[in-house]
Amino acid sequence: MIQLFHVSKNFGGNVALKDINLRIRRGDFVFISGPSGAGKTTLLRLMFGAEQPTEGQILVDGINLNRISRLKLDLLRRRIGFVFQDFKLLNRKTVFQNVALASEVIGERHTITKKKAHQILRAVGLSTKEQAYPLQLSGGEQQRVAIARSMINNPLILYADEPTGNLDPDITREIMFLFRTINLRGTTVVIATHSRDLLENTEQRIVALNQGMIIQ
Amino acid sequence: MALRVWALYFKYAVGNISSNRLIHVISTGTIAISLVLFGAFVLFFVNMNSWVLQWGQTLTMSVYLKDGIDEKAKQRIEATLGGLPGAEISSFVSKEKALLDLKATLGPQGRFLDGLNENPLPASFEVVFKNVSRGSLNSEKIKEDLEKQEGVDEVQYSEQWLERFEGFVYMLRLIGLIIGGLLCIAVLFIITNTIRLTIYSRRDEIEIYKLVGATDWFVKAPFLIEGAIQGIIGSLAALGVLFLMYFLLSLKTVQVFGLPLMQMVFLPKGHTLFILSLGLVLGLMGSFIAIGRFFRFFYD
Repeated sequence: MIQLFHVSKNFGGNVALKDINLRIRRGDFVFISGPSGAGKTTLLRLMFGAEQPTEGQILVDGINLNRISRLKLDLLRRRIGFVFQDFKLLNRKTVFQNVALASEVIGERHTITKKKAHQILRAVGLSTKEQAYPLQLSGGEQQRVAIARSMINNPLILYADEPTGNLDPDITREIMFLFRTINLRGTTVVIATHSRDLLENTEQRIVALNQGMIIQ
Repeated sequence: MALRVWALYFKYAVGNISSNRLIHVISTGTIAISLVLFGAFVLFFVNMNSWVLQWGQTLTMSVYLKDGIDEKAKQRIEATLGGLPGAEISSFVSKEKALLDLKATLGPQGRFLDGLNENPLPASFEVVFKNVSRGSLNSEKIKEDLEKQEGVDEVQYSEQWLERFEGFVYMLRLIGLIIGGLLCIAVLFIITNTIRLTIYSRRDEIEIYKLVGATDWFVKAPFLIEGAIQGIIGSLAALGVLFLMYFLLSLKTVQVFGLPLMQMVFLPKGHTLFILSLGLVLGLMGSFIAIGRFFRFFYD
């Protein structure tokens, strides 16, 4: 599903990633771990096409991200979900509108968008908050809205960058339970985190980064 | 499919306008004010042209006679005038009548004429050329021939004035076009910058759209619709103000030196449509330039 061949990324003179080789199969659940500044976010951004590697090749679902046009990248992103630590919700739109947005963007009919948004919000336990605005919700609820938005188009891959970074342990468990459920449905899940709590006792694959290199 | 997507773009555009009301009022107002200035020029030229046309339809001539002219010479002049193609003597204005007419025209200010020892005004024949096109008459030649005739002091014809006036109108039209062009550039600059402000204030929102796979066009289209809406509302407001100006001015007959000058006319359909289209094009172009610049910055 995701393949990286000798990928390096420099920002000016700073080396963010160095000679990364990685293969993530369809349906995998992978943690990318490491301390702050290890290159976790850069790696996710490269796999999402938000950055171009300085060296190496990246294939996502058979598409080479080095040679992809802007339009094709937009189309590829419709099959990828992304969840951020700061949620990235539109505060002027309701919970329902935030979730429906990802479906509207792909040109889905309004009736189908509505149905899908209701279903996904029920699945993340927010059906009673559809008309609320993001700032009226708790951090955990906002993250669930972001997850619902990333899942509305049944993506092949879900990337999450420190998705529980702002949340307390109970909410973190709830969110991780959601990610596992999503993974069981067949979506490949890649989570970048520096949280030791998340990684303890996990049976999932962990890719450990340090100073831009894979160490485990 | 296409209609559904355009309905969605339209919904986004209206939503954006209602959540950024102040900035949209400012750019719509800018378009309106600029188009009022531009439209006022157009209205002025339309009226000038209409006056020139009205005036140019009939050629009139005043043949001024020398003082103390005898009756025979006067009759000869009358006969010559009667022989000109299409000419008809509309009236003979004696020296006394000329003075009385001037007094009547000047109204209360005419009293100073009472102090004159001698009537300085000449007698004249007023001639109208009927059913003759302006092009087929050599008015200059007629004037020269008449002025050679015994008893004729001077000949003045309406075209002389008209030709000078047409030159003046042409010059004004040229100035108007230059000012109009400069105004359009200024409006485009202001619209581009105000729309750019709204785009930059929604940078995070655009980033989220792109994250969920929105194409550039999906992001651009609502902004273009916003520009078009601003342009149309701005031009409609401008036309409203221009109509009000026309209405207020047409209540009074415009007079120059106490003489009724012209009947005001409003912008013809073609000009009205042109101002509407100009507003639309300015709004669209402003948005197009602003969003284009934003994307260049966004991808850098």
